[in-house]
Amino acid sequence: MSSPTFEVRDLHKRFGALEVLKGVSLAANDGDVISIIGASGSGKSTLLRCINMLEVPDQGEIRVAGEVIKLGNGADGKPTRPDRRQVDRMRTRLGMVFQSFNLWTHMTVLENVIEAPVHVQKRPKDECVAEAVALLDKVGIADKRDQYPVHLSGGQQQRAAIARALAMRPQVLLFDEPTSALDPELVGEVLRVIRQLALEGRTMLIVTHELNFAREVSSRAIFLHEGRVEEDGPPGEVLVAPKSERCRQFIASHY
Amino acid sequence: MELLSFGDKGWGDELALAACMTLAVASCAFLLGTVFGCFGALAKLSGLRALEIAADAYTTVVRGIPELLVIYLLFFGGSGALMFVASMFGHTGYIGVNAFMTGVAAIGFVNGAYSTEAIRGAVLAVPKGQIEAAKAYGMPPWTLFRRILAPQVLRFALPSLGNVWQLCLKETALISVTGLVEIMRQATIGAGSTKKPFTFYACAAVLYLLLTTLSGIGFGRAERWAERGVRRS
Repeated sequence: MSSPTFEVRDLHKRFGALEVLKGVSLAANDGDVISIIGASGSGKSTLLRCINMLEVPDQGEIRVAGEVIKLGNGADGKPTRPDRRQVDRMRTRLGMVFQSFNLWTHMTVLENVIEAPVHVQKRPKDECVAEAVALLDKVGIADKRDQYPVHLSGGQQQRAAIARALAMRPQVLLFDEPTSALDPELVGEVLRVIRQLALEGRTMLIVTHELNFAREVSSRAIFLHEGRVEEDGPPGEVLVAPKSERCRQFIASHY
Repeated sequence: MELLSFGDKGWGDELALAACMTLAVASCAFLLGTVFGCFGALAKLSGLRALEIAADAYTTVVRGIPELLVIYLLFFGGSGALMFVASMFGHTGYIGVNAFMTGVAAIGFVNGAYSTEAIRGAVLAVPKGQIEAAKAYGMPPWTLFRRILAPQVLRFALPSLGNVWQLCLKETALISVTGLVEIMRQATIGAGSTKKPFTFYACAAVLYLLLTTLSGIGFGRAERWAERGVRRS
């Protein structure tokens, strides 16, 4: 059996007295699309932010394509500090898409897309531009390449942000509620792009409230409750006929 | 009009030279103030208690006392301190401090306090999400500062820094008390020796207005450039 593309083991995170993640483990093989659902405060966004170390987990292990980061208490009893270079290297393999897009407002759409490939991965600019143009075409905003983010609708901004994440050629894509900040009529265009990526066989982790969408695109669904994985299985089970009462209630309240 | 002509008879060339001096003092002081401002803002945002207290003390004290007092303190205090140090090495007698340097130091020091607030506010105005996005794509700290943070801080700080520059330009009039021949001092000299104070002070006013207006236009252009992508055009 091949080792998973991506794996987290026993992730713990506390903010002060509040333990948000109480030991979450999950693994994804190449091409897996995993939906993470749960009520607000269940820790799903924190889980995603811990995976790319925007929040440093207190304990646990993260593996992405051979890179391993272990967190916890060292021999001296103090929390180990992850090596910054290793964290940065790992982050280039995880393409993050944020709820509020977070495009860099002082750069055009094209500049946003080529920024990290050129200045972080140090790839040749011509090559990055050509790839960026193709990606913008793919997400359907090729005509916006020289516009600034402020001139784009929310849906267009999110699609630009997806192109920006793809430009890194990441092994895993992380989506943190990618449609929650959008007007309802703009949700469809973003979901279409994500659906297309799923069909291409990309490995993705999607935190979402769009249960219909999750059922349709994901190969697995995970229900988080109070910082623990309460259900983990095929979307047809978790999102349709869950075993736990809490998951059942959550799903009932979302339709 | 002959009075303001260039050459031996008129005061035109003296006034032009004085305007250059004003511009030189103001420019150097503004640059120095911006450097102070960067350090001040860095200290205030450092999260280190001692640095925060020091920076708070700096901005509170400097903004709370008149500029003229700072100039006197540096000019006379500076020369006093120099003489004290010199006396320890056996040197006696008066040692003056350079009026230009004192002027630049005093105005730079004062304006640094205002720049500190301008830059601190600008750093805080950069949306946190954009910083997170840069981190999430593996951007190392220096690249993040250079590519993402600095351009946006500049954009947010420019309007306030434009104000600081204007104040800087006008405050240079205060250092005429140290004998440095800038616009104000030259006007006073001219007024005294020709007994035509109105002409000379009006002339000085025009020169100041010229400098502030021209630099205002310059800052306006810089702001428009830095605001690309922010305003819907």
